[in-house]
Amino acid sequence: MKRRVFLQDLIASAVILAAPAVTGARSTRQKTGMRYLRPPGALGEEEFITHCIRCGQCSESCPNHCIRFFGMENGLSSYNTPYITPRDQACILCMKCGVACPSGAITPIPRDLDAILEKVRMGKARVDETLCLSYQGKACGVCYRACPLQDLAIKVGMLEQPHVLEDCIGCGLCERSCIQIPQAIRIIPNLARKRHS
Amino acid sequence: MITEAKESVSSGRSFPVRKHLNKLRWATLAAVFGMLILLPCLSVYQNYVAAHAYDMLLPGEKRFYDVMEALSSPFTSDPEHGLDVIKGTTWSGSFFGIKLSDPLALAGQSAASLDMHWPFLLSTLIPIVLTVFLGRFYCGWICPATFFYELNTNLGAWLHNIGLPVGNRRFDRRIKYLVLVIGLVLSAVTGSVMVAAVYPPAIIGREIYYAIALGGFGVGIVFFMLTLLFDLLVARRGFCRYLCPGGALYSLLGRYRLLRIQREVKDCNDCAKCTAVCEFELDPMRDDFGQECNNCTACIAICPTDALVFTLNSKDLAYQGPGHLGHLVGHGTDQKETD
Repeated sequence: MKRRVFLQDLIASAVILAAPAVTGARSTRQKTGMRYLRPPGALGEEEFITHCIRCGQCSESCPNHCIRFFGMENGLSSYNTPYITPRDQACILCMKCGVACPSGAITPIPRDLDAILEKVRMGKARVDETLCLSYQGKACGVCYRACPLQDLAIKVGMLEQPHVLEDCIGCGLCERSCIQIPQAIRIIPNLARKRHS
Repeated sequence: MITEAKESVSSGRSFPVRKHLNKLRWATLAAVFGMLILLPCLSVYQNYVAAHAYDMLLPGEKRFYDVMEALSSPFTSDPEHGLDVIKGTTWSGSFFGIKLSDPLALAGQSAASLDMHWPFLLSTLIPIVLTVFLGRFYCGWICPATFFYELNTNLGAWLHNIGLPVGNRRFDRRIKYLVLVIGLVLSAVTGSVMVAAVYPPAIIGREIYYAIALGGFGVGIVFFMLTLLFDLLVARRGFCRYLCPGGALYSLLGRYRLLRIQREVKDCNDCAKCTAVCEFELDPMRDDFGQECNNCTACIAICPTDALVFTLNSKDLAYQGPGHLGHLVGHGTDQKETD
């Protein structure tokens, strides 16, 4: 019995002593500079990593098969976490992954224009004008036509030249559809994934 | 339970269900493993259905599509959405609207985020309650890694029979609690659910999904192969016995379980087959079950005198002395009289 009390005290004091050390280590931990394109509705990168339990259900529920998983290439903390490579397969904003996610790493968002515009912050498209055909005088406009949020996320000017607007959420369908090789429009993932006001 | 034992003894050629639970357990393990293969296949099939492009599939994919259609058409007419009712793995999944998750996932996530996500806690509630009543049953009855580990044990026995050396070292069973604590502390310090990377059932579920739906195994399969080798070359069932963090958590949760296997000392003949067959290094012959017992019923199935029965009791019996049917019959009865 004495040993048991001793062990309990040991564990309790270890927890008390370790708690500040743990929080200290977390706060001083090197913040990741990597930007990953996470599924729509994912928490900010820091929170996402802590909430994702690596179950793979987001990918299993994705009807467009666009969610893949990291191996060890970015270190252990992002091991088995989901990402999207829009050039391979882009997100169609079906919002099923948020429903499937059991651990709250991807928040469920109704498939509704206002909700999507308000809550989804995967990233933002960026046009490389030196590559874009429309900026070279050959009217293209494929990215504009691929966009599910036309005139909210992207608009076209003279010669179908694309201009990305504030409401772009980064689904990547423009990058997927770009006919240039390499693509002239790319998604730059958001790190915080919270709507800027 | 004692009455049940008496019945089976007195009625001679009765059919004690508990003697056949081990076969049922194997059927369950095989079914779980089969589902882990079938679900990713169905997920891929759903993608094909959603794409509405049967004519664009390759011949092999068309065959796959046809097989999956034949399998799923009796159950749903709308595979794109109807097949969503069963998803996921044993690590975390949804089953007809009920989300179920491994308690270790909750522990890991809580440690990593220093926070509790309540819907996720609800999804682990059913497994936790079942474990509190049934003990570490997950390890013996559901865990897809157990399926491989027990086959691996059989392989080890076979290798041993043909004269190859097989590891049978023994370590302290409490090492796994240390692994659990270290895993959770590492999760807390790094802010990433580290336990998920070293938990075989989670790895298997994931890797099968990767292999079928995403085109190839990931890194995790290497780790799993290493655990198989560890079991084969160092210690029989070593990973589950000494290292598995999930097994440690289940052991702790099931410490005061109600459903226990108990030895009927009057029917026991001290043949030690139960102790030899126990994958978890327990000693049923000396009433040593403890929190590690996963109610796998292998010992019940092998017992030649039907001396092992299920009881409802929150504590194991202390060592009851040698069995009354054994060589030490006189000694046993003597002891009984003195008691």
